[in-house]
Formats: sequence, structure tokens, C-alpha cells
Amino acid sequence: MSILEYNGAAIIAMTGKNCVGIACDTRLGAQAQTVSCDFRKVFQFNKSFVGLAGLATDVQTMNNLLTFRKNLYELREEREMTPRVLSNLLSNLLYEKRFGPYFIEPVVAGLDENNEPFLSGMDLIGAPVYTDDFVVSGTATGNMYGMCETLYKKDMEVEELFETLSQALLASVDRDALSGWGATVHIVTKDGVISRELKARMD
Amino acid sequence: MARRYDSSTTTFSPEGRLHQVEYAIEAINNAGTCVGILAKDGVVMASEKRVTSGLLAPTKSSEKTYKLCQHAACNVAGLTADANILIDQARLRAGRYEYQYCEQIPIEQLVEHVCNYKQAYTQYGGLRPFGVAFLFAGYDAHHGFQLYQSDPSGNYSGWKATVIGANNQAGKSLLKNEYGSSSEEKEGEMKVEGAAEEIAMPDVNEALRLAVKVLNKTMDATATSPEKMELFVMSLKDGACVHKILNKDETQKVIDEVEAESSAAGDS
Repeated sequence: MSILEYNGAAIIAMTGKNCVGIACDTRLGAQAQTVSCDFRKVFQFNKSFVGLAGLATDVQTMNNLLTFRKNLYELREEREMTPRVLSNLLSNLLYEKRFGPYFIEPVVAGLDENNEPFLSGMDLIGAPVYTDDFVVSGTATGNMYGMCETLYKKDMEVEELFETLSQALLASVDRDALSGWGATVHIVTKDGVISRELKARMD
Repeated sequence: MARRYDSSTTTFSPEGRLHQVEYAIEAINNAGTCVGILAKDGVVMASEKRVTSGLLAPTKSSEKTYKLCQHAACNVAGLTADANILIDQARLRAGRYEYQYCEQIPIEQLVEHVCNYKQAYTQYGGLRPFGVAFLFAGYDAHHGFQLYQSDPSGNYSGWKATVIGANNQAGKSLLKNEYGSSSEEKEGEMKVEGAAEEIAMPDVNEALRLAVKVLNKTMDATATSPEKMELFVMSLKDGACVHKILNKDETQKVIDEVEAESSAAGDS
């Protein structure tokens, strides 16, 4: 049993036309036992979203740590953190614990200062990868890569992106015992954020 | 004679004084004035902006008012370089408290932390004290809106209204007479001996006008204009703290209202 699979999670982030979407499941488990179906794994930082998959305690701790650092940044620099800077900060925070890491594998999705979509994913010690289509993380990554590769198209509008993200996530988690039990999708556009709860199989 | 005891922070004089700390406090009496006034529904801080040169490039949003966290801000009088260190300390402390407790730091604890940091420079190490006085404005759920003043010694106290910087005595005496005097006194009624005077707290707009009035008195220039002063208001909106620095038009409006009030009252 891997420590990264103890609580279970599934996160997908995708780019669209002048928008990004991020979807996650809401299960919290202790191996086979399901403990909660409304455990949040995606957190908003202005126009960026950070999805944290992995050990639940580290998910919550990293959220608090990022909030602290984001607030400090805004106080000192008097401006908002762009997604790229947030991603770099996260990478740095993770590498600081290189020999005793946080057991999380985050994804960062957002719109930068020119409202261009930004995506990044990284491993538990902060190695980032930047893509222009999609990033996935969690216990069902095999399923999610397959679904995304099949369903993804470039320059999808908001509604189509929402459909694609939802179908990709739902189909992936249904074949994974450790994720599912509810899902949330957030789409970020320059005009704001649209968030929706998905009706998922509760098993 | 006192010269022998004033070059080291860590030595008391025979009269029991710390001269270095007192000299630090003197340094602030040359700095731009800051007024702080506690209102029913917020806190107002007004400060004199000293523009040393027209060639100066505008840097941050404010030279006198600094946000410390979501629910606290401060005004600075004294050495800006010293102030920057302390402001960063305060921001870190507020952030760490929130990280640890997932709750906002109570204002007095934040003030006390900054003051403890300042106090260390009056007792250890042979380093000079910080030449800064602060006015802290904040809100917490336990005690509502609060205003604190701190000086280089590390001493702090809570105030309903106070002034720091140049001509602060003149400002304080004006506040003593005018703060909370909006309640009318009935003619001929005998005051009960020992009964505390009822102080009616002003609202934010009254407090703004009073602050401008104090600045008018303490500032050297005879004509007050929006470029020479900075008005800051902290209030609650939908349960969250809002920090606002008034823009040029809003500042001018308050200045005009004070002007109208004084000419209506026939000030000499």
C-alpha cells in the first residue's frame, strides 16, 4: 500500500478557449473505508486553482501554507500572484522537504495576467511539468490519461469544456475504488469562476 | 552630566532613565504627524504626507499607511527604514498565527508582539532602538474596533483618539476637547461629583472630519490640500474588514466639510 493511495483522490485540469477548468472527486477514505463524501481537494487563490491529490493531512496543511504565503506576497508586493508564480512557489515549498516530503501531487490551473490559460502539474518533490492541454493527478491517473487523451480538443468553449471535464472525471473514477463519491468542477474565465457539483455514483 | 549614561541602550542613568530610548522618541517628534480616531463603526487614521522632492517616483500605494493583515493596518511616524523591518515582522506574526490556529490574530496580541520585538533592542545587544512610533488600527471578534499607539521603548496602550509625530501635543489637546463632544450639555444642570463624562463615540464620517481638523492644526502649511494628507478608514462590510485610503476627491470633500463647519461656527 502506497502512502499516496491511503486517502484516494482524482483531479483533472484542462485548458479551453480563454478559460481553464479543474475537476476533482470529493471522497475521503481510510483505505477501503469511506469516511467523507465532501472533502475538498481544490482550492482557489484569486484566478488560480490548486488541486492537491494525496495524503489528506498534507492536502490541508499545504492549503494553509499556500494561503499564508499568498497573503504575505500580496501584502509585500501589493498585487496578486499569477498561476505561474504560485506553481513555482509550490514547487519550491515541496523541494524544501526533499528528504521528508509532503505526500501530495498537486496541479495548478489558472489564468495569467493576460487572461491566458496556464496549467502545471508536479510530483511530490516539486518537479513541474507545463502543458497546454491537460494535467491529471491522484489514484486513477491511468484511467484519467486515457479519458483525457480521447475526449480532449483544443479551444473548447466554457460549456463544452465543462462537459468534457465532467465525462472524463466521472468515467475515470467509476473504475477506481479509492476515488469518486461525488465530484466538483470549477471553470475559470476572465469574467469569473463557475462552480458546479456533479451527480456521481456514490459507491 | 547625563552624557556618561546616554551612549549605551543597556545602561540606566542615575535618575533611572534610558537616554537612548528617550532620544529615539525625540526623533519621532520631527516626523510627519499621524492622527488616529476610534469610531463606533470603524477606525480612522490620518497622516501628513511630507513630499521631500517633486522628482520622487511613486512607489507603493502609500508611504504612511501599511496593511498588516486582513483586519489590521498601521500608520508610521519616524524612520521609514526602521519601520519596514517592524512591519514585516508584524505581517509574518499575523500570518503565522493564522497558519497555526486558522483564526485571525487578536489585535492586542499583534501589537504586543511588535512591541516585544522593539523592547529587545532596549535591553540586549548594544543595538540602538527603533526610531518608529506606530498607530495600529484593527478589528477582532473579541473586542471590536481598536486603536493602539506604540513607541520605541516597546510600550503600548489602547486609545480612543491620539496623535503621534510633529506637534502631537497640540493635536492631543484639541482631541481632548473635541472627541465625543457631539452630545449636547444641558444648560444649568449640575454635574454629579465624580460621575464619568459620557463620551459619545463619533461615527466614521465625524471621525474623519475631526482628524482633518487636528491635522490642520498640527501641519505647518496654512492651506491644507489632498496632496499633503492621507486619510485611511477601516470598517466592516458584510462581516469582513475593509481597508480604504481615500482618493483625491473624497479627501477634498472632507476638507471642504471641515472648512464649512469652521466658518459656520465663526472660528477666529
